[in-house]
Formats: sequence, structure tokens, C-alpha cells
Amino acid sequence: MSAQPSTSVAGLVARRLLQLPFIVLAVYTLTFVLAWSVPGNPLENPDGRRPPAEIVEAMKKQYKLDDPVAFYFDYLGKASGVSWALGRHDRPFDLGPSLKQPDWSVNEILATGLPVSMTLGLSAMIIAVALGITAGTIGGLRPGSPVDACTQVLAIAGISLPSFVIGSALLMLFAVKLGLFPVGGWGGVQYILLPAFTLSLPFAAYISRLIRFGMIEEMGADHIRTARAKGLPRWKVAFKHALKNAFLPVLSYLGPATAVALTGSFVVEKVFAVPGIGQNFVDGVLGKDITLVMGVVLVYSTLMVVFNLAVDVMYRFVDPRIA
Amino acid sequence: MVLALLGALSLDSPLPPADLILIERSDCYTLDPQRMSYQHELRRARVIYETLVNLRASDCAIVPGVAERWELSEDRRTIVFHLRADAKWSNGDPVTSADFLYAWRRAILPDSAADYSALFFAIEGARAFHEERAAALKEFTAAAARGEPVDARALWARTEESFRSTVAVTAPDDRTLVVRLNRPLAYFLDLCAFPCFAPVHPATVERFVSFDRATGRLVQRHDWTKPGRIVTNGAYVPTVWRYKRDMRLELNPHYWNRAEVRAKSVECRTIENPNTGVLSFQSGGADWLTDLGPEYKTEMLAERKAYLARFRADVDAGLARGALEDDTVGRLPPPGPGERRDVRGFDAFGTDFFSFNCRRALPGGKANPFHDARVRRAFALAVNKQELIDRVTRLGERVASTLVPPGSIPDYPVIEGLGFDPARARAELKAAGYEDRDGDGVVEDARGERFPTVDILYSTASPRFQNLALAMRDMWRRELRVAAECRGKDSKLYKEDLKKGNFMVARGGWYGDYGDPTTWLDLQRMGNGNNDRGYENPEFDRRMDEAEAETDPARRLARLAEVERWLFTEEVPLLPICNYVTVYMYDPSRLGGITGHPRLEQDISVLERRDGVPAMPERGDGLPAMPERGDGLPATPAAPARESLR
Repeated sequence: MSAQPSTSVAGLVARRLLQLPFIVLAVYTLTFVLAWSVPGNPLENPDGRRPPAEIVEAMKKQYKLDDPVAFYFDYLGKASGVSWALGRHDRPFDLGPSLKQPDWSVNEILATGLPVSMTLGLSAMIIAVALGITAGTIGGLRPGSPVDACTQVLAIAGISLPSFVIGSALLMLFAVKLGLFPVGGWGGVQYILLPAFTLSLPFAAYISRLIRFGMIEEMGADHIRTARAKGLPRWKVAFKHALKNAFLPVLSYLGPATAVALTGSFVVEKVFAVPGIGQNFVDGVLGKDITLVMGVVLVYSTLMVVFNLAVDVMYRFVDPRIA
Repeated sequence: MVLALLGALSLDSPLPPADLILIERSDCYTLDPQRMSYQHELRRARVIYETLVNLRASDCAIVPGVAERWELSEDRRTIVFHLRADAKWSNGDPVTSADFLYAWRRAILPDSAADYSALFFAIEGARAFHEERAAALKEFTAAAARGEPVDARALWARTEESFRSTVAVTAPDDRTLVVRLNRPLAYFLDLCAFPCFAPVHPATVERFVSFDRATGRLVQRHDWTKPGRIVTNGAYVPTVWRYKRDMRLELNPHYWNRAEVRAKSVECRTIENPNTGVLSFQSGGADWLTDLGPEYKTEMLAERKAYLARFRADVDAGLARGALEDDTVGRLPPPGPGERRDVRGFDAFGTDFFSFNCRRALPGGKANPFHDARVRRAFALAVNKQELIDRVTRLGERVASTLVPPGSIPDYPVIEGLGFDPARARAELKAAGYEDRDGDGVVEDARGERFPTVDILYSTASPRFQNLALAMRDMWRRELRVAAECRGKDSKLYKEDLKKGNFMVARGGWYGDYGDPTTWLDLQRMGNGNNDRGYENPEFDRRMDEAEAETDPARRLARLAEVERWLFTEEVPLLPICNYVTVYMYDPSRLGGITGHPRLEQDISVLERRDGVPAMPERGDGLPAMPERGDGLPATPAAPARESLR
């Protein structure tokens, strides 16, 4: 958290927004180098039936795949809208055609997949916060008790069990055996609960650990003792005074965690057949679909910066000491 | 925020249930018929577009499509197609011969790098036109790079003119298409049923064509394939296509043969995770899972076997009456615990093999022992394929010793290549100069140098490839006393090594495209883009040319079979293992219309959901009344639907 004294919230926002293009440019450059070094040719089919060499060469030329420097600047210009502003391209923010899926542009793929991934990620974060706070508070109020031991074991399980195991188990139980939810797909609340819950578990576990630790510390603090001495009931003290402070570390964790939930849901998307961006991104990397990879990275890095900024702004309101 | 999320979700509600639901392992890469290459795309294209003639799925007979009849000239090189008057695009426009001309030109042009351009080279002048345009584009690119003034549109105008004067496809009127071939081609009608030969709606497609400034190439934006814009002439129109999610097909209201289309709406869902696909099917999410993926499919097939074993007598009686296996099985009592009838494996139109590197030398100049046909024969004879199938692949595949799957091409004989014969294998290796001279358990050549370590290349894309490579390595070590090592590579690196010839033995495989042996045998021709083996034998090319020059179809097939026999008993550029098995998941008591014909072309428009037990068919053959797309035409002498029973 950057916290320099005597800056207003507006100043913080302005400064961060000025930094944004440079951060995104750095991410773009790094991803470009990595993506370019992946072996293979995205214009070739994985299995057989190869077009003649000179045609592959011509296609490479058209997509500027024969010249990394030209590709770097051309793509950056079109994606950022600079080419459009200069009148050299007919559309702003054109992330190019997908090299593997000729019927779809990267913009279209993002337009269909991003809202899905965002919905899934945000739902997972809401579940994670609710679960994490509940479990952490229960454990933190009675450290060492059997209830605390239970929540701790669950938290460790949530962090260490991979989501494809949990996801498959949930699918088997709730969707196949009990028939409460559809197996895979998208299109309504019933489709979202299982994947969101699966995705939320590691985050919920981490949040519960943060809260538990914070609660134990807070409950022994002077101001809590004072409040208790004034005769306030224990639950009121716990929720009104202790939890408020114990929540602060969670808030700073939420920014990056939300970004991870949005981007890192690839496995969950696969298990539950959720048509999000995660799958596309991984397929893009494996198939060297360089336009798709660059487009997704550009959008995600921008989102990441914005999320972090949002958390920083919230932080200032919750804890005025950080100014 | 929660409310906003719920709001967004409720807007994204599922579509009303379709008459038929399929689950596919991957989404279509494109709906442009001229650019397709994958099986699941081609399967969908067959019901979205209609070609001049159709391939009837049940027996792969050629039946009329957009063309209601056709005539072959005396010299068998000119075909005149007469288009039916009621063939319509989904927007009501008539389907004309000019639409075919336009689509075929797109396919032949090198600009779009269509995988199947070469299929059109049977047409007189097509190859010349393709090469001329490619050369012109190359020149254009060079000139543009030098900064000279270039005009892509002027070049295109010349190309259009050249197409008219060079390529022997003409449209004398809206309902006549005349094609002249380089030479009589027995399977040209089969090619015409291939989706790459389907028409596209020129007015819709042309709106998204532009020219690339640097290369002069025609650039096709594919926005025209999106629902709402796409215009099709087949049984269905895509009305929804959500990327990697689902596609919905609705009956094309202008399709001339719409009365024969069974499901009025089809939903094609994409589920990439193989396990989720199975769970979704089991919870009633689909009628047909087109590619059963998980490793446990072997166990699922065993459960089917257990079920069939219980009702062996009923099934045999049904088959003896001439009923299809599905119809008989669908009427049996439901499976008990540990049994199932909702999976079925079919022999596919594909062959799994390992390539021998036939080049004289390996990269780096080292001598390549596999350049010697005797060594290749030895290695082929030393592999016990039945053991590989029983212990490694475990899907009950059929052993293959040649490329063309038996029974897949009418009137093409079944040919035997080399079998498992370790003694003869050692004799062949000895004849090539390799035997164990110093008794150390490894063969040496005359100068005492050991047989080089056999380098077996495979792609790590599937455990099947690795397991096959390991098992064969052990067989060769044991039977031939050679050192052998496996080298697994990521599929992209594997492919690069394959192209560079950096291997001695490498995993391969091939699916046939059309109903003629050349779709398999041409792989071995010099200069073929898929000849990974570097097998260059003028003798083979000469024999192929001679066989293909034969004008009598039956004699031509017999001569091609002779070439294949020679190839797989003498030359052995590759080692066939087995024919691929495709495993479908569907319940025969709930879905009718799946065909077991060895070419395994399923026609989605004849699939039909059944409610429970199907009624006993009236006719003895048990065919679920395939739509007869012909109208009074002499039926093509078709091969009977030879089902593979498993």
C-alpha cells in the first residue's frame, strides 16, 4: 500500500491512473517476450493436413508473425486505440483476431467470457468473505476450543485441497447424486453456486485465518478490556469493536485476492464447464494464440491496477490513520 | 453488488430445451465450410450447409442434395449437375450454380490457406490457378516490401479473370453447374459431398472481404458466420452461438427437404473437461456425448459387455432378423448394477500407426538404419499388436496391418500386411546385416558396430502415445535385441522434430477424408505435405499413377489394393497398429439414428429422441427409416450398412 502523507484521495487516484499506462506497458512487454518464445506456429493445425509452406509464410506476414518488433508496436497501437486516434485503423481498442479461432475476434471472446468470469469471481469473493469471517470469528473468540480446532482443520483443508478435487466431489454429490444443481454450463443462479463455492474455499480459508488471528489479538487489547469493563456484552464488543479492526488485514488482502479469483479460476471453469476467460487464456497460451494471450493480459492487468486502487481508496475511509 | 450479480444472471437465462442435445469436447473453430478441418466442425457443416450431393450416413451412399440429378459425359471427365428449383437459402434466396462457383473459388484460392484446397485439384485448371495466384501474391509481397506501387484490387481483377479462363467449372445458367476433371475420377461425387464443397451465400460473405496491403491477399473477416447474419442452405440455421459454450440450430424454414429433418432444434454444448461431460450426460444433460474422453471408458465399455452378455441370445436373435444392434439393445430390459448400455465403441475411419523415418540420413548426417526396407520390415514383424491392444490401448480395437480400414470403402478388398512373426523379424534384420556377433545380447553390423539406439518419438499429449511407445520399445529390445529409447515431447516440439526428420520411429495417425483409398495412400507420395516419414520412392508414385490411370472403377480399386499390399508387405514406411475406436455415449432406448458404418459420418438431422422403448420396426432391416433424399433416381449401388459389433 503506498501511503504518503498529506495526499487527498483524489490525488491518490490521479497518481495511480497516471501510473497505469506504464504498469500495463511493462506487463505487456514481459508477456510479449514470454508468449513469443513459446515454440510452435499458431496458424498450423495440431493434427496433420498442412497447408503449403509459402502460404503459411504469407499468413505469418499478414499477422506480422514474421517480425516480433513490428507485431509488438502494431498490436500495441491497435489495442490502445492510438492507431485509431491517428486515423490508421478503423476501430479503437482492437485486440485483433484470434489466430486459432478465425470466426472470433479477441474482443468478442472477451465480451462473452469476461462477464462470466467476473460474475463467478465476485460471487466467489462474496462467499469467501462471508464464510471466512464467520469461521474466523467463531474460532478467534474461543481459541483452543474444539470449535476452533474444527474451523482450523477446515481452513487447512480449504487451502490445501486442489479445486479440481473439491469441484469434482461437489459435482458428484450435489449435481449427480442429489440432482440439486445442473452439471456444468452457465445461465442462472443454480449454475453459479457450486463453482463459486469451490472457487471461494481457499480464499475463505485464508480470510478465516486472518480474522481468527486478528480477533485473538484484539480481544486481549486494552480498548476491548475497557469496553468490557464498562459492562458491554461480549458479543457487542466482539462484533462492534474487535471485528472492525480485525477486518483491516482482510481488506488489504481482498484487492489482490479478487484479481486472483477473476484470473485464476481456470481449473474451476474447466471442471464446471463454465464458459469464462480462464479456459480461453490457457488454451491460448498452449496454442500460441498470441493475439488472444496479449489481449487477455492487457485487459486483466488494467483490471488488476484498478482493483488495487479501489482497495486503497476504501482503506482510507475505513482506517483514516493511513493517509 | 449481490443484486447486480443476480440481475446479470437472470438476464442470462438458459434457452428453452431443444429437441436434441449434444455434448462436444470442443467448439467449432469456424463455420466457414471452406476453412474447416476438424471432424466435429465437418459434422455440423453437413447439416448447416447442403452440398450438390449428400452422403447418406447409414450406408455412405451418394444421394441427391442441391443437385437433383447429374450426368457424366462419355469420357467420364465432365459432370453436369442440375440444381433443384426448390433449393433455397435460409433467407429465401434460391441456391444457384453461381453460389457454388463462388464457394469453390474461395476454396481453391491460396489466400485463405484452406486445409482442403488440394481436394479441388481434381478439377481441370484448379491447380494451375492456385499456383498462379500464389506466385502473383509472392511477387506482390516482394514488390510491396521494396516500396513499389502495388494495387491489390487490380491483381484481384486479373485473378478473377484467370479463374474464369483457367478453371473448368462453369455455370451456363442458374440451375446448371458443369465441372470438367483432369481425368476420370471415380470418387469425385464423394468429394462433392464433402463440406468444403458446400456453397456459401455470396452476398453475405462478400461484405466482409478486404485486401491485405502488405501481401495483396484477400482477407476474409468471419463476422458473417455469426447468428443473425449467417445464411445457410442446409437443414438448420445457427440461431445462437456463444463461444465455447453452446450453439443452437433451428430448422431452416426454407430447406427443401425439411419434412425429413427429425429434431426441429438442436443444442450443441461444449464441455471440454471429459469427466464433466460424462457427469452431465448421466444427469440427463444430453442425448449424445460425441467423444467419450475419460480414461475410465475402458471400464465403461466392460460394463456394456457385461450387459450384452446377459442378453446375448436376444441380441443375436435380433441381429439374425436383420435389426440394428441399437434397436435390439434399446428394447432390452434396463441394465442392472455393474452394467450399462449407454456407451458404445465404433471402429472409426482412422488408423493409428508409428512412422518409420525413411530418409537416407538423420539430421546431423548420421546414417539411418531405417532407410533399409528390410530393417523396417523387421521392426514391423516384431510388434505384437494384439498384445498392445489388450494391454495398452484397451478399447478392443481391430488390429491393422495396412492403412485403409476394412469395409470402409465399397468394393475395396481387405488387405493383409505384415503380422507378428519374431523369427522372420530376426531373419530380416540379419539379412540387413545385423546380428548378435559377440554374444552380448545386442545386434551388431558386419564391422562389429552396434545397431544405433532406436529413437522413438512420441507426443506427450496423451498417455496412450507414451504407453504404446514404451510397450513397443520393450518388444523391440526383446525380439530384435536392439537398444531403444523413448523420447516424449510436448505436441508442438514433437511436431517440429517430425517435420525435421529428427526421429527413427515416431507416433502418427490418420483419419480418411473421402471414400477412396487415395485419401490414405497419397500420404506416401513424394512431396505430400503430410509425408512425415520422408518416404520418397519413385516406384511407389509410378505404381500409384498407373493404378489411378485405370478408368474402370473396379479394376482401379483392385490395382490400388495391389499397391497397398506391396506397400505394407515390402516397403513398410509406417507400422499400422490398429484402427481407432470412437466411443459415443448415448442410450439406444432414448436416441435413434446413430450409424455404425465404418466411415462413421453421423447425420445430426436424422437423430431422433425416443421416449423409452422403440416400437418393433415393421421392416426386417430395422433401419429407422432414413430420409430418402432421392426422388425416383436409380439408387447408387451402395454397400450395406456394415456395422461393427462390439
